[in-house]
Amino acid sequence: MGSLLDDWPSYDPHNFSQLRPADSSAQSSKLTPVTYRPTHNKTLPPPDQVISTEARNILLRHFYQKSEEKFRPKRAASDHLTPEHSCKQPRYAYADEADVF
Amino acid sequence: MFRSTNVAARVFERQILTPRPGATINLVRHFYENLVPSCTICDIDCPDHSFRKITDDGRYLVSFSRNLQDIIVYRPTWLSFSFKGGNFDYQSLTQKAKKFDSFFTQLYSVSLGSSSEFICKDFFLYLEDHQFGLFATSTAQSHEVPAIEGAIHGVPSIEKITFHLVRLKDGVVMDEKSFCNDFVNLAHSMGVFLYEDLLCIMSLRYQTIHILQVRDSGNLVDVRNIGSFCLEDDELFLNSHAQCMTVLNKSKPVGNVHESANGIHHQQVAQASAFLTGIKQRLLSFIFRKAWSEEADPILRVQHLKKKFYFHFQDYVDLIMWKAQFLDRHHLLIKFGSVDGGVSRSTDQHPAFFAVYNMETTEIIAFYQNSSEELYSLFEQFYDHFHANSRESVHANFISSHSNNIHALEQLWSMKNKQSSFSQFVKKMMTSVPYTCQSQSPSPYFDVSLFRYDEKLISSTDRHRHSTDHPIKFISRRQPNVLKFKIKPGLETSGAEARTKKICSFLFHPHLPMALSIQQTYMQPTVVNLHLRIWMELEVVVIPVRMFWIEGLALRG
Repeated sequence: MGSLLDDWPSYDPHNFSQLRPADSSAQSSKLTPVTYRPTHNKTLPPPDQVISTEARNILLRHFYQKSEEKFRPKRAASDHLTPEHSCKQPRYAYADEADVF
Repeated sequence: MFRSTNVAARVFERQILTPRPGATINLVRHFYENLVPSCTICDIDCPDHSFRKITDDGRYLVSFSRNLQDIIVYRPTWLSFSFKGGNFDYQSLTQKAKKFDSFFTQLYSVSLGSSSEFICKDFFLYLEDHQFGLFATSTAQSHEVPAIEGAIHGVPSIEKITFHLVRLKDGVVMDEKSFCNDFVNLAHSMGVFLYEDLLCIMSLRYQTIHILQVRDSGNLVDVRNIGSFCLEDDELFLNSHAQCMTVLNKSKPVGNVHESANGIHHQQVAQASAFLTGIKQRLLSFIFRKAWSEEADPILRVQHLKKKFYFHFQDYVDLIMWKAQFLDRHHLLIKFGSVDGGVSRSTDQHPAFFAVYNMETTEIIAFYQNSSEELYSLFEQFYDHFHANSRESVHANFISSHSNNIHALEQLWSMKNKQSSFSQFVKKMMTSVPYTCQSQSPSPYFDVSLFRYDEKLISSTDRHRHSTDHPIKFISRRQPNVLKFKIKPGLETSGAEARTKKICSFLFHPHLPMALSIQQTYMQPTVVNLHLRIWMELEVVVIPVRMFWIEGLALRG
């Protein structure tokens, strides 16, 4: 580590001089980080994945989401288990709508 | 965030500080705490024009002649002064600094009005990409109008409204668009919304939204008209239907065919009056479907429909469109209300509704009453999206609002807590929707994170306000008791003069520390003051040299 900082320019040539270790080559090899190699491919993205910005802005997405909630066929009054405005809503796939625009 | 308040220390710190991603402008704006328009030149000797606006890119100052016939465009510049030799003539510098011409250079004057048409002095929209300005001229407004088929009663009529597209670089009129015997709310550009290159003009009298596109060549092109018809071929379908009807119904009188730039064929409208307008049909079918899907049980459903839809059917049919704005290139936000509240701004007595309309699919996506809490929660969280700023517009994206600024949000919450009735508060907030485009100044001096000021006396919205004798204070937000600068809108008044009502308007330059305040008193000449940052007496010569020295260091760093 000390050898890395040795060669950098500095106002004062005495700066970082005391950090120089006795055996610089052994130190530097010990501190070289090992490259990480993954042992599985579960986290690989699908080969045809394209990341792009959602074309519709968030306000419009909320309007569409709320209207879809309202037009979802309601269950009969007897088995009204969940409240109308629950916090957790299943996410709808917006990707296919984004293609249209 | 800078650690020091000193401008030189900040310049040094800027060399090594990396702003947060996407927040470079917010950081650089802190320099406006140091460079403030603290100096006022009162009653500057300027031409007697009605100054309208400094464009959002700071390139042009648009004004109208007093007789509202000409537009005069100036270039805002900055005073520069140089001298040779040892004798510095301070007198001539101060003389020069007090002249209007030192700061604004006249580019040209173009006549838009005629003997009967006058420029609407509240109307101006700017297309930054092409440096086009949109102006409006109109003839006098008349309130006694004969009822015409297709026109709404109770809305005044203007014989001719013309929109002029002018290239501000040289004053060439690129295109014009006229509306005859119509009414568009031109005050403060409320009836027209500009989004990127699309214009949305709300014709109140014929209840039609005209969508126009501004091409690169400077032409105004019709894209679609929403009102009587939604899809382009609706008219064709109804025409063919109407022809069949006339064959069967020969006794029915046929009105005169009258064609104007409005695009309304009165004959078609007379025959199609058997149908509700296209937009109304979309709206009613949305309300019906919503009421239908709210109840699953078939018997209860009918009761629910009776209560929610049929009982209010005539009220829904009588609704008219008041104002519209773009939410993006395909969606409009339309405000509906009763005819009585048509051209006024107060909506306390009259219910108002908001609808989101998709122009491509011609569907209504959402419909809310103005007291809707759901709509209010969207308003509180996503107000910036109601501004509909295109991504290219750098200046407009940084205007303080309660959705992008914690101080503005706290102000909103404190207003909410003070109100006794939440629904009244919601209705009051909803009066600002649909948004009026280009109605707010992008000047950093209105940034609520930098300065605290009295919003009743001055704000980024360009409205006339009552002028006070006391100067308007801008206090630093981060150092709560430090006064940064004051704006005194008028001359010293005393006694009788102080009692007369004065109204004041402000034009802030978007990025220079310069502002114009225009004070108007009844039956007295208008007073124009220039507020700007002038270096102090002795520093006039020294400071410029020192600033270069600082900049040189910055480059080396």
